[in-house]
Amino acid sequence: MRKEDTVKLISAEGFEFVIDKNAAMVSQTIRNMLTSPGSFAETQHGEVTFPEISTTILEKICQYFYWSLQFASGKETEFHIEPELTLELMMAANYLHT
Amino acid sequence: MSNQKKRNFQIEAFKHRVVVDPKYAEKTWKILEHAIHEIYNHNASGLSFEELYRNAYNMVLHKFGEKLYSGLVATMTSHLKEISKSIEAAQGALFLEELNRKWTDHNKALQMIRDILMYMDRTFIPSTHKTPVHELGLNLWRDNIIHYSKIQTRLLNTLLELVLIERTGEVINRGLMRNIIKMLMDLGSSVYQEDFEKPFLEVSAEFYRGESQKFIECCDCGDYLKKAERRLNEEMERVSHYLDAKSEAKITNVVEKEMIANHMPRLVHMENSGLVNMLLDDKYEDLGRMYNLFRRVSNGLLTIREVMTSHIRDTGKQLVTDPERLRDPVEFVQRLLDEKDKYDKIISMAFNNDKTFQNALNSSFEFFINLNPRSPEFISLFVDDKLRKGLKGVSEEDVEIILDKVMMLFRYLQEKDVFEKYYKQHLAKRLLSGKTVSDDAERSLIVKLKTECGYQFTSKLEGMFTDMKTSQDTMQGFYTNHGVEIGDGPTLAVQVLTTGSWPTQPSVTCNLPAEMSVLCEKFRAYYLGTHTGRRLSWQTNMGTADVKATFGKGQKHELNVSTYQMCVLMLFNNADRLSYKEIEQATEIPAPDLKRCLQSMACVKGKNVLRKEPMSKDIGEDDAFFVNDKFTSKFYKVKIGTVVAQKESEPEKQETRQRVEEDRKPQIEAAIVRIMKSRRVLDHNNIIAEVTKQLQSRFLANPVEIKKRIESLIERDFLERDNVDRKLYRYLA
Repeated sequence: MRKEDTVKLISAEGFEFVIDKNAAMVSQTIRNMLTSPGSFAETQHGEVTFPEISTTILEKICQYFYWSLQFASGKETEFHIEPELTLELMMAANYLHT
Repeated sequence: MSNQKKRNFQIEAFKHRVVVDPKYAEKTWKILEHAIHEIYNHNASGLSFEELYRNAYNMVLHKFGEKLYSGLVATMTSHLKEISKSIEAAQGALFLEELNRKWTDHNKALQMIRDILMYMDRTFIPSTHKTPVHELGLNLWRDNIIHYSKIQTRLLNTLLELVLIERTGEVINRGLMRNIIKMLMDLGSSVYQEDFEKPFLEVSAEFYRGESQKFIECCDCGDYLKKAERRLNEEMERVSHYLDAKSEAKITNVVEKEMIANHMPRLVHMENSGLVNMLLDDKYEDLGRMYNLFRRVSNGLLTIREVMTSHIRDTGKQLVTDPERLRDPVEFVQRLLDEKDKYDKIISMAFNNDKTFQNALNSSFEFFINLNPRSPEFISLFVDDKLRKGLKGVSEEDVEIILDKVMMLFRYLQEKDVFEKYYKQHLAKRLLSGKTVSDDAERSLIVKLKTECGYQFTSKLEGMFTDMKTSQDTMQGFYTNHGVEIGDGPTLAVQVLTTGSWPTQPSVTCNLPAEMSVLCEKFRAYYLGTHTGRRLSWQTNMGTADVKATFGKGQKHELNVSTYQMCVLMLFNNADRLSYKEIEQATEIPAPDLKRCLQSMACVKGKNVLRKEPMSKDIGEDDAFFVNDKFTSKFYKVKIGTVVAQKESEPEKQETRQRVEEDRKPQIEAAIVRIMKSRRVLDHNNIIAEVTKQLQSRFLANPVEIKKRIESLIERDFLERDNVDRKLYRYLA
């Protein structure tokens, strides 16, 4: 996987998730971040820090990205969400416009 | 905030709303405002998108959306004001470039701002019905830059000037033009229309008004049209290069109106180069150009069509009424065909095969062909000429083409029955003299006539062909029965013609030589023996004969002559010198025919088997005739044509005319009876109209004649006049 095809997402606690750009761009917010014409810091370094998203949630989000790509390509499986994560996930989703 | 806590108090999700620094909004906005400044200053690389997005997100979430929005408007406006100053300061040609550069910058900045404020765009703006960020940016640009008093007129003037420069043939920066125009379109179609298109069209109209005036004074029609076409193409090209596609129709309209519509009559009637001259000189290219240009304006084609029609009618009228031209019927018809070909070609090459033009052409031909009452006769003569000799060595397809052309002329004829009359005469001559070149061609023409006019029209013509066939069989039968008796004497070929099918002239049978009349009697006996209840009469005026002759120095020739000529020649078997009177007495050939046949034997060089005293071109009643012993010919067989009645002479014409009129009477009567039988009661005008309509395919019925026929029918108790309304007729069954 080439570096320019990936993006590093960093959680509030400093955990780093390196995932495909494709997957990350499931989030409209991240997509804007990476494609905006001006070169923002994120576009330059290929990493995004989310000081308001905890590691657990960010991990779940990354899982969701990949699941979503699969789902879109026709593989219809269920995405399991633990009930206690639901609310925070929803807020993150709103933030990320996913 | 540990995981532990979250699990116990799920409600804590609302934490954002709980504690807020009172200066939070102010602080956050400052960050964003700074960012916007940086973006406009091309300094965005250090900014964190996530941070900005998060700040904007939080502001909206904490109900500071309004502050964010108004802050954005204020910041952007102040930036645009600065930009407008720098654009305003740009000198001359740099003005547009500066404008374009700033526009690009603004667009880029706008997109970045929209991206970081995405959350506001998504939630706050729809719920408060405000203008979305992108559109807001465009509106602010429009109000602060494009509609800024010091820029607005300058921009328009610059653009129009550039267009003018380009129209005078210089090169301008089309890319820059395209960008600026694109900007106007991006700002909304009303901006483009108000700030550019409308004035552009006005200026263009003025420009072309002046130019067309100039051109029309100094150019001929062809050149003018070329220039107009070029201008039109230039404008279309301009639109495709840097204007809105929707402008094409508008600007071409302007050019069409100013350069074509306003000058149409003058162009068409331009001396020495107008439409008529183009038609005369077959200028397909110019005509095509005129057609394509005029088609664009209303009434354009109508104008062309009218001028063309009146021109064709005029020239056609000259053609058919010029007495010089009427001398040679074949030439006359050939000219008509050439004329038709010429215009057909023009219509197909230049006028796009336009149906309305074809119709105009047809109606023009119909108009002038019928101006000359002899057209039907001439057309038939033309066919006669073609079928006699003109088709030799011509391929079948070409024959078809010629026949089709003739049919086309035939279609224009109003008096089709006159044509039929002549055609019958000519066909009879062809058949009897065995001179038709191609049976197939003859039949093909009959088929064409049949499809054109129906079975009735050709039934008699077909009857003639049948007679020919039957006669062959009869002759075979005759010779099998009598061949032995006849031995070495002259042979006879009889064509038995059904009365009615053939245009038999009431003619006097001439005195046949004794050898022949014996043979004829034998045949009569044979024929009447096999067919009871028939009557035979000899049409000696229509026959031909092959005569073997030996001249003074022993030259032997076979002479192909008419029956009359044969009768005359046979007289010379028993005499050396015969006077005109003696010949007339002995043969009883009618005087005009006798003169004609003597003339062809005595006065035509190379065919002069007789010698005449005194030598002169015409036959006099006191002339004397001798066998021309010095007759020589390269050929063994010599064909002595009678001076064939090419064209009918004046009295003959009158006679044919009369017969045609005579034939029309029963047809008109039949039509009246048919109509009255179904209508029972009808007034005079309607009868005339219906009869005319019914007979249209054969001839144009004369109303006076129809009236006479009606009166005759009343006399014969087919019809009666209504007692009250004298204009009404009733059918009496």
